[in-house]
Formats: sequence, C-alpha cells, structure tokens
Amino acid sequence: MVEFLRRNRVFLTSGFFLSLSLGLLSANRGGTHRIDPLGIVFLEALQPLQTVTSAVADRAAAGWAEYVKLVDVNAENQRLRDAVQRLTVERHRMRELELETERLERLLDFRKKLPSNAVTARVIGRDASEWFQTFTLDRGESDGIKPGMAVVHAAGVVGRVAQVSPNAARVLLIADHNSGVDALVQRTRARGIVEGTLAGHCSMKYIRHDEGIQPGDVIVTSGLDGLFPKGLLIGRVVDVTRKDYGLFQVAEVVPAVDFTKLEEVLVVTTPPAVVNAGLDRIAPAERIEPPAP
Amino acid sequence: MKGFSVALFVLITITAALALVMQTTVFQFLPLIPDMLLILCVYLGLHQHSVGGSAGAFLLGYFNDSFSGNLVGLHAFAMSLVFILVYLVSKRLWMDNVVSNVAVVFVASVLKAATISALLAFYLSLDFPWSEFLSTVWFEAIAAALMAPLVFAMLDGGKRLWGID
Repeated sequence: MVEFLRRNRVFLTSGFFLSLSLGLLSANRGGTHRIDPLGIVFLEALQPLQTVTSAVADRAAAGWAEYVKLVDVNAENQRLRDAVQRLTVERHRMRELELETERLERLLDFRKKLPSNAVTARVIGRDASEWFQTFTLDRGESDGIKPGMAVVHAAGVVGRVAQVSPNAARVLLIADHNSGVDALVQRTRARGIVEGTLAGHCSMKYIRHDEGIQPGDVIVTSGLDGLFPKGLLIGRVVDVTRKDYGLFQVAEVVPAVDFTKLEEVLVVTTPPAVVNAGLDRIAPAERIEPPAP
Repeated sequence: MKGFSVALFVLITITAALALVMQTTVFQFLPLIPDMLLILCVYLGLHQHSVGGSAGAFLLGYFNDSFSGNLVGLHAFAMSLVFILVYLVSKRLWMDNVVSNVAVVFVASVLKAATISALLAFYLSLDFPWSEFLSTVWFEAIAAALMAPLVFAMLDGGKRLWGID
C-alpha cells in the first residue's frame, strides 16, 4: 500500500488538486460571493509592484512613442536633435499633465453631480488572461471600497468591484461574460439585462418582443439590480435581433466607456438605494446626463 | 530528479510574481500577452516530478485565478491538468532540448485554452466558444512557445546561481 502511494504520489496529488479546483469552481459558480481565501493576499502583495511597474511601463511607452516620432529628425544635427528631444519630452510631459488634469476635472465634475460618495482610483493592472475583462485598482478596503460597489467613469458605467484587499481592488467590467446589469432603453423605457460576452462586447437580453428598439438607442442603468445607481450611461444599441417567435429580443450594445483607455475611475461607495433616493429628489432638468461618448 | 526544495519554491514564487506583474502591466502594450505562468507550469511538469511540482502547478493556476476573471479554480484546474500531462509525456519522451520545450509549451497552451473554454461552457451554460477559442488560441500559443526558451534559461540560471539541483 505504502509502495503504491509512493509510486503514484504525483498522480494522487494532481488528482487531489484537480478535484480541489473543481470544488472551488463549483463554489464560485454563482458569482455573488467569491470564495478565494488566498486571492486577497496575492492582490495585496502584488499591489505595490503593479503600481510601480505600471507607472514605469506607462512612462516607457510614452517615451517610446516620442522616440518613434523623432526617428526622422536629421541625424547630423545632434545638438538640435537633443534640444528638440528634450523639449518634446518636456512638452509631452506637460501635455500628459494637461490631459490628466482634464480627465480628473471631468471625473470631479461627474462626481459632484453624483449624489453619493465616491473614491477616485487609478487602474494599475489589466486581466492576466484574454478570457476575462477585469482590472486592478490602486485603492482598497482602507479607502472604504467593498465588493459589489459600482465603478463608474464620466463616460459611463465601468463595472463592479469583485474582490478587495486592504490597498487594492479588482473590478469586473460590464463587458465580462460574468457580468449582468439591469438596464433601460432611455427612449422607450424598455427593460432588459446588459450582459458581457466572451468576445468582450455587450448584449442586452430579455427585452420584450413587442418593444420597438432600434440602433442608436441609448442604454442606461435602471437602478433596480441594487448594484448601480440609476440613469448612468451604459452604451448605445448597434444591432437588434428580433425573431418572429419567442418572448424576447436581443440588442447588441457598444459600451460608452473605452475600457482599453481607462486610467482613472470612480468607485461609488454609497449604497445604490441611497444614491437612487438622492437622484429622485433632483428635478428632471438637473438629472445627471453623462457626456456623449 | 530531486524533490521540491525551499530554495526552488522561493525561486518559482519570485518568478511567478514577476511574471504576473509583467502579464498585467507591461505586456498589456503588446498585441499578444504570453502566458508566463503556463510556461512555469510546463517547467514544473518537465523538471519537478514530485508532490511539490504538482502543488506548485495548482498554486500557479490559483495565483492566475486571483488576477483573472471571476471563476476561481478555472486556471487552477487547467494548470493542474497541464502539469500531469506534461509529466506523463516527459516520463516517456526525451524533452531536454529547446525544440521539444517550445513544442510542449505550444501544445500546453492550446490544451489550457481548450480546458478553459470547455469549463466556461459547462459552468456558464454556454455553447463551446469556438470562435473565441480558434481566434486567439494559436497566437497565444505561439507567443508562449517563443517565450519559453528564455524563461527556461532564466530558471535554469537561477537554479545554478542558488545551487539548486
């Protein structure tokens, strides 16, 4: 028996870990309560490294972009080239600062309009694989962030917090196939659920068959899922699939937020019910109208 | 083939942390993100025929799960499966050369993608995502295979430097 165990120890251990993985998968299948005891430790441990690497990578990318722009400059005039490069880098840095200020101003403006408390956070890492749509923020539990909180941007809805460590948080984007947001078609008030797809797009499902939806319609959050404040821009309909039979139709939605270019976001720390009550008190003319993408 | 020493555990842990940080930050600027953790898993399958190697593969997958998606256990399962299959292959074939290393990482990458697709389809009650699978798997596998010799050489160098057998 001992000899059998010794000879097959790798198989037996791997079998155990395969079973453990399936157990974890089954336990996390519902998606509402994440069972991930070590995940928080990993997230917290890598947060400083991710922050530094992300900043260095951003600078390197900006520097590389500048270098590529400058390759055509005359090689003979080294002194002028140096001066141009130095000034260009400086200008680029100023432009970056200007753009950052603009972005933060827009975010601040949006935050002021939102009748709730929100924490500004920077994106410090993207998903480790091509199969999912998540990213890591540089703020966590110590900043008041909790799992399930809505993450928004001046351009629209981003996603919700899936996991939090003391100083970092992971966000599940609305384009992830595990994500679902209760939504409304702004023009017709038709309800549905906006879900992500494996391809990283969004589709609005469970819209009643008799609702007249058309490409170009704006989709906003309904606030009924208890996750997102109502009236936030999700995206625009680009295609509608309506079959002759069945109870529902499906609309393909392009998110208002370009997730590949997100650098800062807002995490809404006030519960959605409180935000919605605040929104209801605002006169219709003053309602939050997110800027068009 | 020796067991899984503490020094090797530390080496793999440091390499995995650096690999994951690269995957989630620097490599995001590239058109393709090589799966560095998978390369480490294949390395364990080729060189660590022990309980520690098996546990290491699971932990690499679990580590990946912590920074990817919302289904904990997905990468852990795929990595454990890749480990056991690479282990079986390396017991029967001579794998101690660059070409076979590149080939085995390529196959392992395809196998991992297929496993993840199948598990996603099963757990999310979807059809098998053929289009996503076929459109990304080959490029990801090529990226991982091309990175493999570099990662293997770095690990071998680290082992020599730390005096690990």
